[in-house]
Amino acid sequence: MTEPQIFVRKLSKTYRVSERDAGLRASISALWRRAYRNVEAVRDVSFTIEAGEIVGFLGPNGAGKTTTLKMLAGLLYPTAGEIRVAGFVPWQRKPDYLRRISMVLGNKSQMLWDIPPRDSFRVLGEIYRVPPSELNGTLDELFDLLDMVAILAKPVRTLSLGERMKCELVAALLYRPAVLFLDEPTLGLDISMQRRLRRFIGEYNARTGATVILTSHYMADVEALCPRVIMINHGQLVYDGNLHALANRLAPYKLLRVTIDDDQVGGHDTPVFPPEVEIVGQEQATWTLSVRQAEAPAIAAHILNTLPVVDLAIEDPAIETIIETIYQGASLHLT
Amino acid sequence: MNLHGGWALIKSTWMSWLQYRSFFFLLAFGWMIPPLVSLFVWSTAASEKPIQGLTQGEFVAYYLLFILINQLTYSQTNWTVGDSIRNGDMNRALLRPLSPLFSTLSTELAGKVVYMTFVTPVVAALALLFHPTLHLTWQQGLAFVPALLLAWLLRFFWGYWLALLAFWATRANALLEIQDALIFLLAGQVAPVALLPGPLQLLARVLPFRYMIGFPVEVLLGHLTGADLLIGFAYQCGWCLIALTLFVVIWRIGVRHYTAVGG
Repeated sequence: MTEPQIFVRKLSKTYRVSERDAGLRASISALWRRAYRNVEAVRDVSFTIEAGEIVGFLGPNGAGKTTTLKMLAGLLYPTAGEIRVAGFVPWQRKPDYLRRISMVLGNKSQMLWDIPPRDSFRVLGEIYRVPPSELNGTLDELFDLLDMVAILAKPVRTLSLGERMKCELVAALLYRPAVLFLDEPTLGLDISMQRRLRRFIGEYNARTGATVILTSHYMADVEALCPRVIMINHGQLVYDGNLHALANRLAPYKLLRVTIDDDQVGGHDTPVFPPEVEIVGQEQATWTLSVRQAEAPAIAAHILNTLPVVDLAIEDPAIETIIETIYQGASLHLT
Repeated sequence: MNLHGGWALIKSTWMSWLQYRSFFFLLAFGWMIPPLVSLFVWSTAASEKPIQGLTQGEFVAYYLLFILINQLTYSQTNWTVGDSIRNGDMNRALLRPLSPLFSTLSTELAGKVVYMTFVTPVVAALALLFHPTLHLTWQQGLAFVPALLLAWLLRFFWGYWLALLAFWATRANALLEIQDALIFLLAGQVAPVALLPGPLQLLARVLPFRYMIGFPVEVLLGHLTGADLLIGFAYQCGWCLIALTLFVVIWRIGVRHYTAVGG
């Protein structure tokens, strides 16, 4: 059996943070005595990822996802545990390893600020030792996929955020890494740019078989791209599997949006809904009801038969809502 | 060693920095002022008769050279490296298959090129105004080259290891302020080292600061005789080794301790 591309076992990272109360007196006493606190940013996280997978890392801010990602990229030195990516130990930062991986940090730039993107790409090509003919071929392909030929000659500081993001992606991919770490890649981008980026990442993965690990707070990114998600909360891995399976397991209910004909019911009375139904919202004549998944069709039929319904829609609850309940501490009793 | 990559980075950083010429010129101008002040003071003081064997013209020569060499060896790693650790840019350097030393060297070279395009003509103009007395021999010139190179090396790595303290302390500024004061006193800026009072002169001869700026100036101007010259070089080499060792050790420990903040 071949070794998985990413292998993580009981990975932990603890920081020592100095603590200090506010105020002058505390500042002065801190000169003599420093109080320290151990922050366990990542605790005993284990998972494996095969080559070619696209995996989403989910978790609230401060959960430890970026810390885990940085340990995978070799930027941080783990406190404990085993970690191997593409056959290398990341924190040894061997050049052969660094040439195989790429990290795009949503708010940090790889580009040299004052010169046109093309020049930055050329420098990066040298740093990553990409033969010039191969580099040009890859660049042309990327420029085409991202539709960015028009911006290549303008200094980077004059580009818009979306244009700079395209440059970041080219910078990250021009040496064809086998593993791509994307930390909030769609941060601050407009809707059409977000969609284009998602399509691009999916296509790139399909074309080159690169493994992609993505963190994002936009559920649309995760839903569109990641068949598998790993959820990290309070430094621990709480879920590893399919996103929709998680949603179904946690919130096996459906939302029924029922619009009643006002005239027939007589104004402000609450219509009579079946008892199993939970009313979760109301806006004028539209009621939002929560029903157990299995009972949804029967209850919908019942409502259609007994009430003067103008419109009825059956929906899945928003993924965001479910994820939020997890972030806020709902225990999962999973795995 | 990724030399191709390193060289490409150096060239592109150079191009980038040249776009901010006026900013760097102003900076260089600011750094020239303290030695210039010393130049005026000492040349005025020596206008009647020489002080400890140095004539007015020789003081002028000393300080004009001092300005040039100060600029050539000036350490900017606190803001290039130190800031990059504090604001997370170090992540970028650590992700590349290129030693971060190259990145620092590229900004170092870029800086020096830009500063010197300003400082050289200014010093030449000042030389025309103030008439330095210069008697250069080829032996002095020959000894000057290694003295200057070692001075650059020493000041670069000394500044580098201090800048790396940013891996631990978010603010190492106090240390740098102390260092600035020590350079002012002991590197030959407030007065040539030979003119410093007893205990201070001893300190200056033993600590690294003189070997960062004052020593190459003294070598070129022929202020040092055979034995003194050799002892000076010995100290300079010794401090270079210490600076290099400190740099390597602190880098290794620092990277492990690094918390990769900022994105």
